[in-house]
Amino acid sequence: MAGLDPTDEVGPLLGYALGTLIELRYESGTLLAGGLSPGEAPPGPFVWDGRTRQWRSPASAYREAALAMRESGTEYLDNAASFEKVSLESRVAMEPRPYQREALAAWRRSDLRGVVVLPTGAGKTAVAMRAIEKVGRSALVVVPTLALLKQWYSVLTDAFGTSVTVGLLGGGYHEITPLTVTTYDSAYIHMERYGDRFALAVYDEVHHLPAPKNAVIPRMLLAPYSLGLTATPERPDGGHDLLPDLCGPIVYHRSPEDLAGTYLAPFEMVRIPIELTVHERYEYAQADAIYRDFLQKHRLPMRSPEDWQRFILVASTSHSGGRDALLAARRRREIQAGAMRKGATLETLLRRHWDDRCIVFTKSVEEVYALSRRFLIPGITFETPARERKEILDRFREGRYRAVIASDVLNEGVDVPDAGVAIILAGSASRREYVQRLGRILRPREGKRAILYELVTSETGEEFSSRRRREGFAREPVV
Amino acid sequence: MLRGEHVMARMARGRLIPHRLSQADTRTLEAADELCELYASHVGLPRARLEAALTVAEEELGPRLDARRGFRIVRALGKLLEERAGWTSPTDADPYTIRTRIFELASALPEPPAEEPGLLEAPTREGVLSQVASETGSRDPATLMYADRRSAQNLESFERPSPEQLITRYNVAQAQGVMYSARSLVVDIGAEADARLVFHYVKLLGLIYDLEPTKRGYRLRLDGPLSLFGSTRKYGLQLAKLLPGLLLTAPWKLSADVEWRDRSATLELDSDSPGLASHYASPKELRERDGDVREAFVRSWERAKDTGGWKLEAGPGVLPFPEQKTALVPDFTLVNQDGEQVHLEILGFWSERKLIERVALLREAKRRGYRVLIAASENLGTSPETLEEAAKGEVIPYKNRLAAKAVMEKLSSR
Repeated sequence: MAGLDPTDEVGPLLGYALGTLIELRYESGTLLAGGLSPGEAPPGPFVWDGRTRQWRSPASAYREAALAMRESGTEYLDNAASFEKVSLESRVAMEPRPYQREALAAWRRSDLRGVVVLPTGAGKTAVAMRAIEKVGRSALVVVPTLALLKQWYSVLTDAFGTSVTVGLLGGGYHEITPLTVTTYDSAYIHMERYGDRFALAVYDEVHHLPAPKNAVIPRMLLAPYSLGLTATPERPDGGHDLLPDLCGPIVYHRSPEDLAGTYLAPFEMVRIPIELTVHERYEYAQADAIYRDFLQKHRLPMRSPEDWQRFILVASTSHSGGRDALLAARRRREIQAGAMRKGATLETLLRRHWDDRCIVFTKSVEEVYALSRRFLIPGITFETPARERKEILDRFREGRYRAVIASDVLNEGVDVPDAGVAIILAGSASRREYVQRLGRILRPREGKRAILYELVTSETGEEFSSRRRREGFAREPVV
Repeated sequence: MLRGEHVMARMARGRLIPHRLSQADTRTLEAADELCELYASHVGLPRARLEAALTVAEEELGPRLDARRGFRIVRALGKLLEERAGWTSPTDADPYTIRTRIFELASALPEPPAEEPGLLEAPTREGVLSQVASETGSRDPATLMYADRRSAQNLESFERPSPEQLITRYNVAQAQGVMYSARSLVVDIGAEADARLVFHYVKLLGLIYDLEPTKRGYRLRLDGPLSLFGSTRKYGLQLAKLLPGLLLTAPWKLSADVEWRDRSATLELDSDSPGLASHYASPKELRERDGDVREAFVRSWERAKDTGGWKLEAGPGVLPFPEQKTALVPDFTLVNQDGEQVHLEILGFWSERKLIERVALLREAKRRGYRVLIAASENLGTSPETLEEAAKGEVIPYKNRLAAKAVMEKLSSR
């Protein structure tokens, strides 16, 4: 088989060398330097790729490569970057709070590369908006959840909607524009196709970035500028050590204590135990007895979701009493979740706070739709389309809607404007989730005292869940 | 394709063995058939009902199949059946308009709409709903308000597979699932295998290859652009999608370097691995293209008394263009006593777009010093000048069939 000299360098278009000029090109998440004579190495971070006989670097080395070319006085043709200047002027008047201004200044001092740490509710989004405006070039916003994707879409459309169309990538959307919001998952899959189009990458909840999969995302982006946002940069696996490399150093750090009182509204917590009706209690006791007998007989612990799976497995393969135990377990859960008084109590609370903008949280998506049907208030779940979600929250903000019922989607970092009352119907016993949920109603507002209700069915497993949440909360106060 | 959570494999001395179902096992066949029946019997019904039935099936069929993994097997089979299902909206009304109107009206009330009418004649839920019903002309706004949810979609069509087909699809999908975590792939391809097909998929999937001839064919090492800077699982999905492509041809043998639960492991498969078959339709442009002309040429060559010392190779050579993630696989490769190689490409009936691509590759092959003869049909929709230019004069025009003599004349013309 005839072959080529391995150092025979191949130019961009079917191998026609360009001559004297070095050409930079973007290819599938990497940067190629072409147009060199055989044996000549380009300045900068490039590595010889023997597979394709090209000089290659990760796309993330673009900034370093361009600087190296400039420093060594090498002339080069930039066919890699295809980001554009966008005139982004926010329509929304944004008077930054002093710490937001400080954060932005620190980020600029660090050559537009770094991580800003601010507590939930302190307006991290506002910092990002200013950064996007300042850079004035195509920007990509990467977020962990579909809920946040929709939230950012809404905020960016409000601010920059007249100058650019906001694009979405992920959750069934695939529209790339100079200002695009995507999820970590979708960026991981698709960024090798679009990594040349953005000058600035904003990573929301940037503590997700060091996860092995997500860490590939910045490598595929040419973006010379990056901004990371989080309330909690630390990762239990020590991955935060990678942040400086992936997104830049921590340039600004404020804890909830630093901002408490001044910027975060205080709130009151009210826990309402829901007692089962006589009939429910009787049924619950019966189901509970069958279920617990089975657990005891088979010496099954019940502490984690895995234990639950194990129970299902044992029960469904057991010859005696397994099926009854399964049915009992299901019935038990139904009673817990659907306790009649819970619905009635919610009705009372809605009535009491009909003028106070209520947000109702529940864990189950189906419950959102059931309650939305019963009380005729809008529901928001991960299924809600971005545009409709924005519309619901806009109307809620304007007061056209009095209450909203949402499943977990309003969790992490999602901004819900000025809710006066939050009602938690059910939730898992995660401390982090709890604190972040609380963050939702901590928006400062004149003369405002927010109330958080928690409805817990007594004499059932949910009590334990609630206690665990509050213990976690007590250890680390937010306000 | 399966989701990560459906994938099962066991590890034996560093080798990964994907979970496999046997087509010979009656219980497995029965379970597969029951699931197909479950889908088929839900045509016309909402997704939520089907999903509830599938959950019950997981608990009932699962343990019968496998005490430990039955749930996941059933769930995985269900997922694969979904690939064959079509969905449709249950209503012509616009649920968004209906619910938005409901929320507006309810929110305008001085207090939350009551479930039951009370003595004080407070506004009721029923009042809001009947107003929306009369405004929009829909009979049951409370039901329709969320009729655009995924779970409300109706199963419109279901292309029912045989239980054996489903099991084969499952076995391939499990092997693919293991490959999601692959960092690189080595494929040994026999000379008899259809190399064009392999490179068709390599290019389609954007993989980077490294080619090395072996005694019985050639070896491809596959990964992606970023793999140069440290192994990554980024290209696992693309590598997995190559498998059904490979299954369209034979013989081959693959070995994948897999990162499995934080450990390094190997997945080995070959074209004889039991229970695997492709569900890809072979690409249209490669199907039987110019087949008659090729066969006639081989017959003509075999009948020729004197071939001037030139021999037809068993399989065509592969001209690698790795930087374009593709390779030129000509129709034939001829070799003489001195080991000189000449490739022969037959251009018969090509679409214009494909022809332009092909001619560009042929031009590039020339540039790199390969000798390629182009046999061009007179019916070919391209200008003779373009071909002459690309092939540097080595064009053999033919009418209906390509004669060995015409090729021989060109061979000895240099």
